[in-house]
Amino acid sequence: MNSTKLSVSIIIIAMIGVLLYLSETFLGGFNLQLVRLLGINSIIAIGVNITNGYTNIFSLGFGGIMLVAAYTSIMFTMPISYKEAALHLPMWLEQAQLPFLPAMLIGAVLGVITSVVLVLPAFRLRGHYFILASIGINLVIANLAENMHDYTQGSHGLRNVPAYTDSWWIYGILLLTVIFVWRLMHSKYGRALISISKDQRLAAVMGVDIVRYKIYSFIIGSFIVAVGGVLWVHLIQCINPQAFNLMFVFELIAMLAIGGIGTISGAILGATIVTVFTQAAAPIQEGFILFGLNIPPMYGLVNLLMAIIIIVIMIYRPDGIMKGKEFNFESIFRRFRHSPEIAEK
Amino acid sequence: MGLYLLQQIVNSLIYGSVIGFLAIGYTMIYGILGLINFAHGEIFMIGAFTCYILVTFYQFPFFTGVIGAVLASVVTGLLLYYLVYRPCIKNKAPIVAVFIASFGASLGLRYLFMMIFGDQGRAFPAPDYLRGMHMVGQIVFSKRDLVMFVVTIVVMLIITYLIKYTKVGMAMRAVSYNIKIAEVMGVNTNRIIVTTFIIGSALAGISAIQYGLNFGIVQPSMGFTPGLEGFIGAVIGGIGNVPGAMIGGFIVGIGEILFVAFLPSHLSALRPIFVWGLLFLILFLKPTGLFRPNVKYEGTWGE
Repeated sequence: MNSTKLSVSIIIIAMIGVLLYLSETFLGGFNLQLVRLLGINSIIAIGVNITNGYTNIFSLGFGGIMLVAAYTSIMFTMPISYKEAALHLPMWLEQAQLPFLPAMLIGAVLGVITSVVLVLPAFRLRGHYFILASIGINLVIANLAENMHDYTQGSHGLRNVPAYTDSWWIYGILLLTVIFVWRLMHSKYGRALISISKDQRLAAVMGVDIVRYKIYSFIIGSFIVAVGGVLWVHLIQCINPQAFNLMFVFELIAMLAIGGIGTISGAILGATIVTVFTQAAAPIQEGFILFGLNIPPMYGLVNLLMAIIIIVIMIYRPDGIMKGKEFNFESIFRRFRHSPEIAEK
Repeated sequence: MGLYLLQQIVNSLIYGSVIGFLAIGYTMIYGILGLINFAHGEIFMIGAFTCYILVTFYQFPFFTGVIGAVLASVVTGLLLYYLVYRPCIKNKAPIVAVFIASFGASLGLRYLFMMIFGDQGRAFPAPDYLRGMHMVGQIVFSKRDLVMFVVTIVVMLIITYLIKYTKVGMAMRAVSYNIKIAEVMGVNTNRIIVTTFIIGSALAGISAIQYGLNFGIVQPSMGFTPGLEGFIGAVIGGIGNVPGAMIGGFIVGIGEILFVAFLPSHLSALRPIFVWGLLFLILFLKPTGLFRPNVKYEGTWGE
């Protein structure tokens, strides 16, 4: 990384920091929530991108992993009085209280373990069978969460989760994630993952241990996704077993599909578009009055529109907006650098 | 105990045939195009809704409702093929993109109906002539189940005849074996694909009527669970194998009801886990399903 690039990166990060500071001080309610959800969704989209994009193993099991991580972490952060009143936990778990970071790490590690234990056997399957098995992981974990009343209060869900997540946590973790994934994808491991996505047999012939690298990819991807789930639950402050249902997973897939699979910038762009669209369009379905016309409430309109958009994108532009290329500063620099020269001539 | 078991099997036969018909639809479309029609459950839901609307709102006789349901399912299936799958295949979209599109179509149709009707369950109209019971020994057969079971057997015979002994059926098997060579041999592949969608969707419509009569309820999210279970049935029976799909569907449907009937009641909510556990078990013991799969597909379009 040369010095210009480094300084520009630092300037951009500083600018985002200033914007964040301004948003934390001046924005409130809906808008602040939007800024925060944007960050969380970007983290999750980058995590999903590692398996579904770079390694090209199409899994839909992330809802289940996030559910495990979120429930685990709130076991350690919810107030003891609420746990005593609502749940039937073992003594040590009932009295356990941890700060945010250790709770997050425990949740994420458990999410990774779940992911690897459940997905490992499914590696024997290919193509559509694997997708089906990963949907099964989602449904089975949601079903277990609904039936473990002692730990989760079933489908009533849990409330009183402390609001630990703020913009600094979210965007700090997002920054770390971006740097980590960027470095990873330009290392030996990342290149091995990408080679698996291009042609598994060729990669195996070239000496890549396919199963081991697929597991690495799942460990890294699930860890990032699980951290996203923990951040989410401490932002929204309540959770039920249907929080990360197939609709949520579909939104994740939509983020990747819109932004372009296999790039960091595509994941962030897609997450931004989908989040802003769903949050901004949500008031429309409540019903409103347009030029004297009374539009009745139509719940489900946003999901319907999103489904249509996704189908159209999949037909006409299956590579997404970024088309598999990373957003890079070089081309923009070049444009700036060249323009004065052209003016001199 | 034996009596209880027999009674439970009788009760679960109709659910088995619901799942079996859905499984046939999946297996035929997968066999020919190599894609999971994820929106098959929504075709099923639209069939049930059409019958409900025709009979409850417009006071048509029940039989008209049945025909309307099958027609609506067929129209939905064809619309999906022409608006979603055909453009995808024409643009040589990767298989994952087609899957995302069908996932989107499934959710889109479900939310469209939720938007119009709301997600509360509505009573499915059952005609008077299907009410009543018969006792054979000590086992109760309801008249409704008997009629539906006869319908199931007749439809199964028709489908078997169609696939095994007619020219269209032979062309369908040829296309599912190798679409390129079938085309070279003079098979109109597009017409065969359309025929497959029509048959699969019509079966979904019949199974929707059976589901409605059996459970007495229609709602926009009703297609989700039977849809997935139908696909599991298709996988268990060996994908592409039509009689296998029917048997797989019966195994899933009957197994599920027996699982609920024989376990303590506080475990009955774990029903999905039984189904998925069965799927995993079968996939590990015999990944190609119980019967010989009928597909020579490697998962790409065109080649």
